[in-house]
Amino acid sequence: MVRATVVPGLSPADETILREALKRCSPATLEAALAYRRTGAVAAIPTVVLGVIERFVDPEHRERLRSGNTDLRVIEDLGVDSLTMLEVVMLVEESLKVSIKNEELRELRTLADINLFIEARVCGRPVPAPPRHLPAEAVQEALPMQAPFLFVQEATVGPAAATGRYQVAGTEFFLQGHFKNNPVLPASIMLEALGQLAVLFLLRSGAPELEQAVDPAAVFFTGCEGVRCHRVVKPGETLALSVRPKRIKAPLATFEGTVKVGGEKAAFAEEITLTFGYVAAVAVAGSVPATASAPVSS
Amino acid sequence: MRKVFITGLGFISSIGNDKAAVEANLRGLRHGFELYPPFQRPEIPVKVMGTIKEFAVSSVDAEDWTFPARYSIRRELLRSMAPHGLYAHCAMLQAIEDARLAEGDLQSDLTGLYCASAGSPMVLTYYLQRMRDLGVSRCSPVGVVASISGTLNFNLVAAFKIRGHSCGFSSACASTGHALGFAYDDIAVGRQERMIVVGAEDGNTEAVLPFAGMRALSSATNPDLASRPFDIGRDGFVGTGGATVLVLESEESVARRAVTPYAELAGWGQASDGYNVAISHPEGLGLASAMQRALRSSGLTPAQVDYINAHATSTSIGDASEVKAIRSVFGPEAGRVAVSSTKALTGHGLSMATALETGLCALAMRGGFTPGCAGLRHVDPMFGDLNLPRDTLPVGPRVLLNNASGFGGANVSLVMRAVGG
Repeated sequence: MVRATVVPGLSPADETILREALKRCSPATLEAALAYRRTGAVAAIPTVVLGVIERFVDPEHRERLRSGNTDLRVIEDLGVDSLTMLEVVMLVEESLKVSIKNEELRELRTLADINLFIEARVCGRPVPAPPRHLPAEAVQEALPMQAPFLFVQEATVGPAAATGRYQVAGTEFFLQGHFKNNPVLPASIMLEALGQLAVLFLLRSGAPELEQAVDPAAVFFTGCEGVRCHRVVKPGETLALSVRPKRIKAPLATFEGTVKVGGEKAAFAEEITLTFGYVAAVAVAGSVPATASAPVSS
Repeated sequence: MRKVFITGLGFISSIGNDKAAVEANLRGLRHGFELYPPFQRPEIPVKVMGTIKEFAVSSVDAEDWTFPARYSIRRELLRSMAPHGLYAHCAMLQAIEDARLAEGDLQSDLTGLYCASAGSPMVLTYYLQRMRDLGVSRCSPVGVVASISGTLNFNLVAAFKIRGHSCGFSSACASTGHALGFAYDDIAVGRQERMIVVGAEDGNTEAVLPFAGMRALSSATNPDLASRPFDIGRDGFVGTGGATVLVLESEESVARRAVTPYAELAGWGQASDGYNVAISHPEGLGLASAMQRALRSSGLTPAQVDYINAHATSTSIGDASEVKAIRSVFGPEAGRVAVSSTKALTGHGLSMATALETGLCALAMRGGFTPGCAGLRHVDPMFGDLNLPRDTLPVGPRVLLNNASGFGGANVSLVMRAVGG
């Protein structure tokens, strides 16, 4: 069992304060907080974080929160304003005896971000470098792909992974013919979206394996392996994209990619491989451009 | 100058939590006083309060509060409210419904909101104590906006998406008199089509008991005898809280929406005593000047006034100086015009007082009655020349004055005229 480097401890007076502080949270939240304070068991932390957020969100969002989807963004997806986020943080701090600085708070967007941050903090591990959030304009500025063939609307890029989103508007040109009277997002487009997010990772992550700045005009698709689709995606739904580099060694970078919709797995790619060149010495690989990905049957 | 009308009312008050109950108790002269439980301790020299029924808001944690189920308020709104913020929110919902305001009427840059309250001494005390005991990092992010003076306008403007003029007024017991006066001006000169005026107070120990430090509160132990303006036995005011909301509209807006107003707000005046920080001028100098200016602004003479809703709080000095002011303005008419103070029924609502009393006057004008002097048993011989009706008169005033005086000698007088009068 992973434990905090310092077990916070719990005097009878502390317990009284903790019970009062968590009186509007679920009993499971209180139990998890008591367990963490007594034993330092890190496994209890996500239950406390979830329970505290649940206590502050409007009832209509509670079901989404209980779905187990830790990619939910606290502010955008759960209707929490920044004042409520402060209330969440204060109660988490008080329950778990951790402290989160204002500048750290700004980088914590999803439940998973908060859990990882607190676990690292209490285990004495370096807190993961804060992933950078790229709003729509920043994504458009970074990527060579543009509308109508841009399938990442916003992204968060860290040194070890990137996540992004794309909401299917329903007005995309290809939905007119895919399919007749039954618009379904082509699986090839889901793969394309993962590829675009992987390109964004190469351009903006600053991952240690990348020795220099990558040239946006020199990134191309070379291949993919183990692509499986699990669910159709319809207009109005939002792709939650994530990619994680498996190997990076210039001029090749291989990623694992996942697409989820509403917490359900929609597509998975074991390997997506791109070739890239650095700005300083542009490598010209005779590969197929990323925008011409091979169709994948849905 | 455009005419200005009162088209909507909302009340959370000691004499009722909707306009029907308030009007019935006003007409029937039934007061809203009780022995206030937190005052029933030997070291507290005051026992009676104008209490708000159906609301349990004594906790500093808004999520502990209970209030009538017809009001459903999200936690996101509730968390930044003081107790009087909740009262005001509920009264606001009533007033919007009463005036039949559509969302487009309310959320327009021609609809504004003026407020007055003393802030929340209870919530402020709690946060400052918590800051001292536990450090500022453990204080709620909404502690400031829930407690300081201005909390009413911060909360209501955001909750009701007000886009026109907004601010708070701070002249103690003349505050909502000023708010109504400036709201009148905004509409009369055409800057706004519609103004919502809100007065509210916590009306709890922290908001009211400090006035006992200046010996201004009645020490009576019988709720029936505690507030008695103009009576020889008056010994101070009875505090109260709650909220009153009034919707004021231009005559064009009234015509366009085809609503029936309660009354016309026909003008106003203000003047200051320049005398003492807390004691009114012994001759009522500033209040007399305010009444004269109010009449002049509405183009009326004392002979046309048939009722004065007096500020009279039931203090020895205050009631006497107001009577002197009335005599100096009305001269030989002073014995004709009916005078009463509805604080005998409601208690003194401090910043809220003029909003509440303007609301009561609006109900009386439309309801066709003139409130009598509740609680008056033995008229102080000093006021023997006044027309102080003991009972409710079955005729509504055509023209009335509504007076307010606050600390520092701030005085406001409002003129109201019956519709078609």
